[in-house]
Amino acid sequence: MVRKQDLVRLEPYLYEIPRSFRSDMRVPARVYADERLLEKTLTDRSLEQLVNTATLPGVVRYTMAMPDVHQGYGFPIGGVAATKLPHGIISPGGVGYDINCGVRLLVSSIEAEAIRPYMDRLMSTLFANVPTGVGAEGPLRLSKKELQALLEEGAAWVVRRGYGDRDDLEHTEDGGRMEGANAAAVSARALERGRPQVGTLGAGNHFLEVDEVVEIYDQEVAEAFGLQVGTVCVWIHCGSRGLGHQVCTDAVRLMQQSVNKYGIHIPDRELVCAPFDSPEGQEYFQAMSAAANYAWANRQVITQLVRQSFEEALGGHLPHVELRMLYDVCHNIAKVEEHQVDGGTVKLCVHRKGATRAFGPERPEVPERYRAMGQPVLIPGSMGTGSYVLVGTEKAMEETFGSTCHGAGRVLSRAKARKSIRGEKLRAELENAEITVRAGSMRGLAEEAPAAYKDLEQVVQVVHKAGIARKVARTKPLGVIKG
Amino acid sequence: MVKEALPAFEEIEHTADLALQVYGKDPKELFAHAAQGMFSLMQCAPQEGAEPFSCAVELTGYDLEGLLVDWLNELLYLSEREGVCFEDFEIEELTESRLSARARGKRPCVLGKGIKAATFFDLQVVQRPDGYYEATVTFDV
Repeated sequence: MVRKQDLVRLEPYLYEIPRSFRSDMRVPARVYADERLLEKTLTDRSLEQLVNTATLPGVVRYTMAMPDVHQGYGFPIGGVAATKLPHGIISPGGVGYDINCGVRLLVSSIEAEAIRPYMDRLMSTLFANVPTGVGAEGPLRLSKKELQALLEEGAAWVVRRGYGDRDDLEHTEDGGRMEGANAAAVSARALERGRPQVGTLGAGNHFLEVDEVVEIYDQEVAEAFGLQVGTVCVWIHCGSRGLGHQVCTDAVRLMQQSVNKYGIHIPDRELVCAPFDSPEGQEYFQAMSAAANYAWANRQVITQLVRQSFEEALGGHLPHVELRMLYDVCHNIAKVEEHQVDGGTVKLCVHRKGATRAFGPERPEVPERYRAMGQPVLIPGSMGTGSYVLVGTEKAMEETFGSTCHGAGRVLSRAKARKSIRGEKLRAELENAEITVRAGSMRGLAEEAPAAYKDLEQVVQVVHKAGIARKVARTKPLGVIKG
Repeated sequence: MVKEALPAFEEIEHTADLALQVYGKDPKELFAHAAQGMFSLMQCAPQEGAEPFSCAVELTGYDLEGLLVDWLNELLYLSEREGVCFEDFEIEELTESRLSARARGKRPCVLGKGIKAATFFDLQVVQRPDGYYEATVTFDV
């Protein structure tokens, strides 16, 4: 276990576990937190998992835990580690089973006050039109060939089928497509699982929320992002479904042997990995990229289902019910990026597991509309508590390979949440706060209760004060759909 | 004797995911109990009028931990593909390198909760001083 005295405070919101902590560490491990969040973090094994990531071959500078860090498997959730290419490793445990789990935010000019009388109707329409729950099936019936094309083209493939437009693609991370994708690297089993599920939310912590913009912290950036106090926006949080899970399962299995083959010592078998330029590393990167593309296509189809639902429920009652894409970010991914290390530009494989890219101004990866100020960073809150929009910063580029937090981070186990919180009671509480709820399972609702999470405001405050993203706006839920 | 007091499995604390402590009088029973525990976590229940379903599972590997993860992930896949809730597991053969089993259940079923995968985190199959076997399995949910 990592204890408080093992950490050195470098800055008010930054701690470091030095290399001397464990003999197998290749680099130090850093933690963004304030005192209170750090205390909570020390109660589970997340920092031990963070130290484990600092042992991976090719890892550069330091590995990092964001303030929302919590225990996962392999990497902690909220962990960032970059390895130097071409020989540094890539690890499926540094991405997770829900490849490109991510968030997108749609904005509108609809007044929150005007939508209130229609919330019941709107949430029921959304719940009917967006497939949710375990094993849900989507609106597309794809042949194997079509799915393979989708895996290589990403969101653009479903846009060609009428699900959204070019503007959506331009305002998605990577344009909704990772170039390294190769459908041939995806197993027959993963394809089989993926075929019926494009356009489904799934279950677990995935959700769809209709929110109201309630606070602006940076007027200029908010305007550029299209955020205005009192207007309605929609959050979509989901990933690559069964296809992504299978890609990870396949890779973890395959790589059990590659660690021996390449003489890599790992402290946890879930951290299996292979050199990025090895056949195993390349096969995983190509399959993972394909799964990432699947996730973007998935969120794109859901976006269009949401737009149709708004039209169906509100059209004729309210003017201008259009929803425009603000941005789409992934928070479980490994990417090839260029960063400054020791005064030079180097190519890295940046693993972000439960962490969001937060590129600052003037990076070519940031869409033109936002390039002067930095990329939008979307941080969803736990159910009912509200969410934040931030903007990437130069300091994130310098300090964290352009990364920041991804959400609130759990503090309560699912078992404890179920014992202490009843789904029905929580639903009543949310409805009392005038939040309309639709959920597949009351038990699932209880596990995702706000009390099971760290305080998002505190998490966001830490990244804001540490300078690895800057607050732009806060939104508050009017309606929630849980898978 | 403590042996009688050992449950087949029990849920243990994990902040974000789900984890089980699993017990068995031998590795075969341990594997069967792990599968039972997983489907219990998934709150799997056959629908009214569900029909029996059974299938054979054959796996090869190189150690018990690897086989245990493969076995559970294989069942997750089969359960999703066939829409089946597995209830009964007969491990016919189990060595460090091979598993041969039959899983029985009913379909169609309803799942209360999805499990993405069984992971290797903290996983070790160990023999206890009382002769029983135990393992901790962490699931990504």
